[in-house]
Amino acid sequence: MTSEIDQASGQPTTGHEWDGIRELDTPVPRSMSLCMWVSIAASAVLWVLYPAFPFINDYTRGVLGYSSRTTVTQKVNQGNAARQAAFRIFADKTVTELAQIPDLKHRFGEAIGVLYRDNCSACHGRDLAGQANFPNLADAHWLWSGTPDDIELTLQHGINHSSEDTRYAEMPAFGRDGMLEKDEIAQAVEYVLSLSGSDHDTGLAEIGAGVFADSCAACHGDAGTGGLGNGAPSLADGAWIYGGSRDALHETLRHGRAGVMPGWANRLSPEEIRMLTLYVLWAGQDDKP
Amino acid sequence: MSRSDKIEGAVSALILICVFLLGVAILGWGRQAGYVLHGWLIAAAAACGLLYLLRLFSDPPRDIPLAYKDDVIKWGVLLCFVWGIVGFTVGDVLAWQLAVPSLNGDMGWSNFGRMRPVHTTAVLFGFAGNALIATSFYVVQRTSRARIASETAPWMVLGGYNLFVLLAVTGYPLGITQSREYAEPEWYADLILLFAWVSYLVLYLRTLARRAEPHIYVANWYFLAYIVVIAMLHTVNNLAVPVSIAYPKSYALFSGVQDAMTQWWYGHNAAGFLLTSGFLGMMYYFLPKAAGRPIYSYRLSIIGFWGITFLYLWVGSHHLHYTALPDWVQYLGMTMSVILLVPSWGTVFNGIFTLNGAWDKVRTDPAIRFMMVAVLFYGLTTFEGSFLAIRPVNTLSHYTDWTVGHVHAGALGWVAFLTFGAMYKMVPWIWHRDGVYSLRLEAWHFWLALSGTLIYVGAMWNSGITQALMWQTYDANGAFVFAFIDTVDAMRPYFFARAIGGFLYLLGACIGAYNIYRTVTGPRRAPLGTDERPLTLNAGE
Repeated sequence: MTSEIDQASGQPTTGHEWDGIRELDTPVPRSMSLCMWVSIAASAVLWVLYPAFPFINDYTRGVLGYSSRTTVTQKVNQGNAARQAAFRIFADKTVTELAQIPDLKHRFGEAIGVLYRDNCSACHGRDLAGQANFPNLADAHWLWSGTPDDIELTLQHGINHSSEDTRYAEMPAFGRDGMLEKDEIAQAVEYVLSLSGSDHDTGLAEIGAGVFADSCAACHGDAGTGGLGNGAPSLADGAWIYGGSRDALHETLRHGRAGVMPGWANRLSPEEIRMLTLYVLWAGQDDKP
Repeated sequence: MSRSDKIEGAVSALILICVFLLGVAILGWGRQAGYVLHGWLIAAAAACGLLYLLRLFSDPPRDIPLAYKDDVIKWGVLLCFVWGIVGFTVGDVLAWQLAVPSLNGDMGWSNFGRMRPVHTTAVLFGFAGNALIATSFYVVQRTSRARIASETAPWMVLGGYNLFVLLAVTGYPLGITQSREYAEPEWYADLILLFAWVSYLVLYLRTLARRAEPHIYVANWYFLAYIVVIAMLHTVNNLAVPVSIAYPKSYALFSGVQDAMTQWWYGHNAAGFLLTSGFLGMMYYFLPKAAGRPIYSYRLSIIGFWGITFLYLWVGSHHLHYTALPDWVQYLGMTMSVILLVPSWGTVFNGIFTLNGAWDKVRTDPAIRFMMVAVLFYGLTTFEGSFLAIRPVNTLSHYTDWTVGHVHAGALGWVAFLTFGAMYKMVPWIWHRDGVYSLRLEAWHFWLALSGTLIYVGAMWNSGITQALMWQTYDANGAFVFAFIDTVDAMRPYFFARAIGGFLYLLGACIGAYNIYRTVTGPRRAPLGTDERPLTLNAGE
């Protein structure tokens, strides 16, 4: 158990041994000690400059008087002020007026696209074309009219949302709630298929026309073209939210539909809602000749 | 049977009865299928333990051989590899899910949020934890020249610990979690781990107390630090009040920012003491032993040990930079993280320079190569850790894939590389084999693991920095230039690269497991080696 010199390194060992493992007594390299003291010194400087050590009821404040909270509040205020100035036009004008300004799309289209993708694209898709159960925003078909004011109202208060001013529209569950018999539903489905020119059973559809007139026309209109006043979609235009197949229509008639669009008035600023309204309008414009 | 054995038997029986009653209470009063299943598991495991104890007491006392107790270590190695393969597989499945989200099959139990803790628990606690228990039992006996201090306690430790891991990973897919990162298991599983872990601590101390060496070797300092600190962290971070015996749900004792701080004090020190301190213990035995070289510097050992042990406990707050956590806690955590770098690198130099005079073995022995690369990755990760803890740097890295890359540089490159290196040495030793079944396969494992790790970590650096820069890009009006979904799009190539890197790593691990299996089932070494030399109780031998 005595120190000896290791041949390969020329360093003495500590004289201890465990299961054949020995240790050299190599001194700590000078550069390493230096780095150690430099890191401690740098930290000590930071301890003086910034908040670092606690007392019972307080802490060292640091000579710079730095506070995350103050800094972040300042930055948020600056950012808000800069954005308010940059987007002032959306605060000052109504959405109808904004829709008349031709270069707005060129100036703000990119930035509003980001806003759209962060808030709307999860349901309506990045191309605004919608997806199963969520309507297409880029085509010319509207549920609640496509005027700027009406789109803004939908964005603010949503559809079937908890907001007091929300738009309310519900397709009843004719089958589940026993309002129509099974064969009546089948007949109505064939008639609805015929409205958009899809393959259908003409015999059943003829009877279905009666069922439709009694139970469906009140909302969807006598011709099945829907109504912008109550949000009932047109069944004759070949555009579908929940699918236009025979199975999907059966499902809709049996169990009803009550899709929800959230109201954004409490989540986005009025300016942002106007921007998104314009974004939806612009997308629709490409569709029109 | 000696008096201390009787006391130990009585205490073990008492613990097992408590655990058994816990299991019975859960399966009797429980109102959720998964929870009741856990009750059955707990009761069955405790009943097996009790029957074993009963047999031990009723049989005539057996002579304890004057040799190292390695049977429990063999089971630890087996469990380490089983959990490892499970954990790596789930990890790679998750990587593919991130690249192709529909791969979760649209099932509740298979979504990312439920499968991720299965991955982290299986690798951190299943793979790394069993590797540490197995190697620590091996190392403490050899470096103390003493048989482990109990015949039953090692089984209680290994069994209880693995019961905890099993309860954890089977609970997550069913939604049983307290949603604390790396501490997800609910109160009843935590209690079982507490019993197992305190038994581990007592066993380790008792074994060290009967050592036949005058000094305690460095590896044991680190193993002891890991056992003590994990006991402390686990207890404090899991202080929670169960809602009722009928449900697994519990509520944490702390709330708000205190809760966040407790969680990250735990989270960072799980990395600091399970994945660092414990594995340094492993390195300090297996690296010099395999290389046949003395430790480079005893002085560096001391600086490294006390630096790491003292400083790690301060730095958890760097996970909460720019949050509601008071500034002073953030700056204190940040500066301590910076000071931590030099002691960590001291340990890196101590490991690497231990190979001085044996560098040829790095070329010829893949196990040593595994351990050398592990130490290099340890150096890389500790540098990166201190760097990312600096607040302005953290504004770039926080919440990005860079963090994921950082933790995998440590987990794949350091923890698992060292485990594989140590296992390739220890398995032939405890099973008395001439060597590993195939050095060629071992080398294949090494290169697959290394390329997998480099692809993984490189992809996550790119991904993280790209993500961070995109998040922070504003146009002249102060509006975002990129929507969040745009940044997700930009991640896709890196997600694919990560999944491929992870697959290579998994492939390597499977080859490694096969190699170990063939080694264990292969022919036994003919002559007695030095490490089979019977022990003496005489320190001055």
